[in-house]
Amino acid sequence: MAAASVASALLAVTRKNPVHSMLWVLTLFLHVAGIFLLLGAEFLAAVQVIVYAGAILIFYIFVVMLLDLPDEEARPRFGKHWPLAAAVGLCFAALAWLVRAGTGVAPAATRLAAEGPPRGGLSAIGMALFGPFALPFEMASLLLLAAIVGAVVLARRRAAGP
Amino acid sequence: MTGVPLSWYLILSALLFALGVAGFLFRRNIITVFMSIELMLNAVNLSFVAFSYQLKQVNGHIFTFFVMVVAAAEAAVGLAIILTVFKNRETLNVDEVNSLKN
Repeated sequence: MAAASVASALLAVTRKNPVHSMLWVLTLFLHVAGIFLLLGAEFLAAVQVIVYAGAILIFYIFVVMLLDLPDEEARPRFGKHWPLAAAVGLCFAALAWLVRAGTGVAPAATRLAAEGPPRGGLSAIGMALFGPFALPFEMASLLLLAAIVGAVVLARRRAAGP
Repeated sequence: MTGVPLSWYLILSALLFALGVAGFLFRRNIITVFMSIELMLNAVNLSFVAFSYQLKQVNGHIFTFFVMVVAAAEAAVGLAIILTVFKNRETLNVDEVNSLKN
């Protein structure tokens, strides 16, 4: 599943047609949802499928279809400074490798995981969300409201304007 | 997660994040750039959930939830901006959207 998610991410970054790359991102999101499920986060897996795969990706696809894309496909898909970008990506990968090789964190961590039942069920998340995290929760709803209003204002201004 | 160490999840998360960064810097289509941002957010979510599993705490799940909320808001506003930019400039290439005037 991890290999599949990395492969689909790679394909998503390199496909020329935005619709193709979006569908690869969709597979990536589904695989990440599966990994969440393996990690005991059932609620987050469901939210991942519903919100990311269901809402955000469909939104992206709508926007792609609203816009004209055939003339965009003819353009070069990468910028002129792609060696720099490749270097940055390789730096991140090398950093991950160095961290893994440098610190022996894995064995101790595995021992830690062996005890106790995994958290992350729906009730635990609900209790935390409406207990100590109630204020951030309300702020998140306010943020969503602001995003809705902002999106409507941005999208309407051109339609109503000259 | 029987026998799979935490570092594997972190390496997977770092790989996904690196791919997101590369896509963010590579691509010239602004929609794909946005999708790379979503990819990076997803990588961070993955490491949050892995740590949360490891430390037996639910805080990582809460943080991931909020990251998803912010991602949804960002996608909504960002795509509205993209629509406006496309109507104004007739292009989605980020190299050509270089002016704050008009």
